[in-house]
Amino acid sequence: MASTLFRTIQIHPFSLYPTAICRRRNGVLYCTMKSTQTQTATQEKQQPPKVKVSQHTQSKTLDKITRDYEAIIGIETHVQLSTLTKAFCSCPYNYGSQPNTSICPICMGLPGALPVLNSKVIEFAVKLGLALNCKLSLNSKFDRKQYFYPDLPKGYQISQFDIPIATGGYIDLDLPLEFGGGHRKFGITRVHMEEDAGKLLHSGNGDYSQVDLNRAGVPLLEIVSEPDMRTGIEAAEYAAELQRVVRYLGVSNGNMQEGSLRCDVNVSIRPVGQSEFGTKVEIKNLNSFSSINRAIDFEISRQALLHTQGHDDQIVQETRLWEEGAQKTVTMRKKEGLADYRYFPEPDLPEVILTQEYVDGIRNSLPELPEMKRRRYEKMGLSMQDVLFLANDVNVAEYFDATISRGADIKLAANWIMGDIAAYMKNEKLSINEIKLMPEELVELIASIKGGTISGKIGKEILFELLAKGGTVKGLIEEKDLVQIVDPVEIGKMVDKVLSENPKQLEQYRGGKTKLQGFFAGQVMKISKGKANPVLLNKILLEKLNAKS
Amino acid sequence: MGSRALLMLTNFKFKSSFASSSSKPFYLVKSSPTIRKLSTKTRSSLQPPDVRRLAETARISLAPNEVEEFAPKIRQVIDWFGQLQAVDLDSVEPAFRADTEGDNLREDVPETFENKEALIASVPSYKEPYIKVPKVLNKE
Repeated sequence: MASTLFRTIQIHPFSLYPTAICRRRNGVLYCTMKSTQTQTATQEKQQPPKVKVSQHTQSKTLDKITRDYEAIIGIETHVQLSTLTKAFCSCPYNYGSQPNTSICPICMGLPGALPVLNSKVIEFAVKLGLALNCKLSLNSKFDRKQYFYPDLPKGYQISQFDIPIATGGYIDLDLPLEFGGGHRKFGITRVHMEEDAGKLLHSGNGDYSQVDLNRAGVPLLEIVSEPDMRTGIEAAEYAAELQRVVRYLGVSNGNMQEGSLRCDVNVSIRPVGQSEFGTKVEIKNLNSFSSINRAIDFEISRQALLHTQGHDDQIVQETRLWEEGAQKTVTMRKKEGLADYRYFPEPDLPEVILTQEYVDGIRNSLPELPEMKRRRYEKMGLSMQDVLFLANDVNVAEYFDATISRGADIKLAANWIMGDIAAYMKNEKLSINEIKLMPEELVELIASIKGGTISGKIGKEILFELLAKGGTVKGLIEEKDLVQIVDPVEIGKMVDKVLSENPKQLEQYRGGKTKLQGFFAGQVMKISKGKANPVLLNKILLEKLNAKS
Repeated sequence: MGSRALLMLTNFKFKSSFASSSSKPFYLVKSSPTIRKLSTKTRSSLQPPDVRRLAETARISLAPNEVEEFAPKIRQVIDWFGQLQAVDLDSVEPAFRADTEGDNLREDVPETFENKEALIASVPSYKEPYIKVPKVLNKE
């Protein structure tokens, strides 16, 4: 499906240039469709979203329309914590287990069962709060959020309502270069602890649904952003950065496909210059960073079009679903009135009290966060592209750090990791922790090439073996006799041999076919088993070729 | 901790809407019922309960005559607690919670519940391996 994208990048002081790409739209934006919840599994790569872009000059008016409006975007993210047990009971949690096998009276909400808080949940919440530069509430509490739904065994969710554990923070990120790059800083309103509900599955055409309570009671952290994002790509990158942070901290595996990272987006638009916010629309069912990007862009243009047609009263506060197949948002059944959750303090759980020592202890144990790494890599002189790649995955960054801490040349190390090593990992579907090439050996490899012991070409060849089987660089060089030949006399001998064995080509060369130099060079390489130093080889070859004429 | 007192006074948004800016759309949310009313110098009266709505939200079915019958009775109970309104709280900090104990925490160590079969057996409608429930598409 060739869906092209419609996006406007607002003119910020730090972005490069505004780009508007128009999208061809078939049919009417607001045709009513049956609101079915489409469960689409989108492949999510562990990198910033790569979105297809193509220029369409279709409607310049559409272009103009969204330039007249400013989009206000806020995101609510739920992060499933990777604790060993659930939030309020000792049931283990493993994604993909047989349904209803990890249950107990507490998470099933059976009468008389009482919740007991998992200390790891507080630890992870404090870690994340600090990483997001929040102010921590040393005293906070849990509340009951009451509603009826089949996947909610107790009839209420234990959450934090008015006194969350962390408030008022921010997150720094860098936009990918293919979208213009640039630094952004988005506010975080709050972070709070809560529990997950079970899983509700709809049985196709049956008149019943099915519930799996394995997930009921799993700890979540809800992160609410300030409405600081202005475009789909900013929102998608915000989500990607949250994923990076939770993975760096080790509090969650942040997997959108598995549901350990879920995002709901709120979008509204207002005419440029207006201070009042427009009507806010919530979008759910976003399964990947690129869906976040596309759904928001779609919604912005949907709302903008309604505005300019004078139908802005048709923009109502509602929840819409993103349909990945149709690439559009559709209304969920509209609710009558707003939900009343009747919050009150959870009587079965005591106050959550943090001491300053506890918080400081955690603060001192925080790893280097993505933002800090990016700034450090930038200072080292790496290009933004390298920085973004290396800092994206915490394991890759650690590998890189291990390599340069042992003295390897920074730029060379970056190139190897981003080039051949990354390609190998992609082909074999391995993570950097699974390859057999140790950082120490990469250092040795780089040094060997730099020092002239082996040629660059040979280096690449043994890299492959090192990646697959391990071993040491020195060992391989010895074993396969790979030391580069730099003795001019020896090279000279080989050149003489090649020239004498190929008189016909030699004559052709002398006759003017100077391109044959490559042929001769190739032949010398062959008999030297690739060990001849290319620069020396060509120098000597040229001398000898031109000498006799 | 005067900030906490301020928190108690404001009307909360149940869903994280946009940050505190005066120009945001104010979403009317009934957070919790009258319990949160802070005492003021003048004695404030408690709102009479909307029994029909209460029954709806609690999923308790009441016939119209029962609604009429229960309203004054519920009101009586609330008013009885309303005696607390007489207490002068001007110099008292609002507490988060009623108790004074702190954490009751547990280590993150897995334990499987022994009698899961009994748990499953007590489910009224079970279709292996799922709990069978009526089809519901939308949250409340």
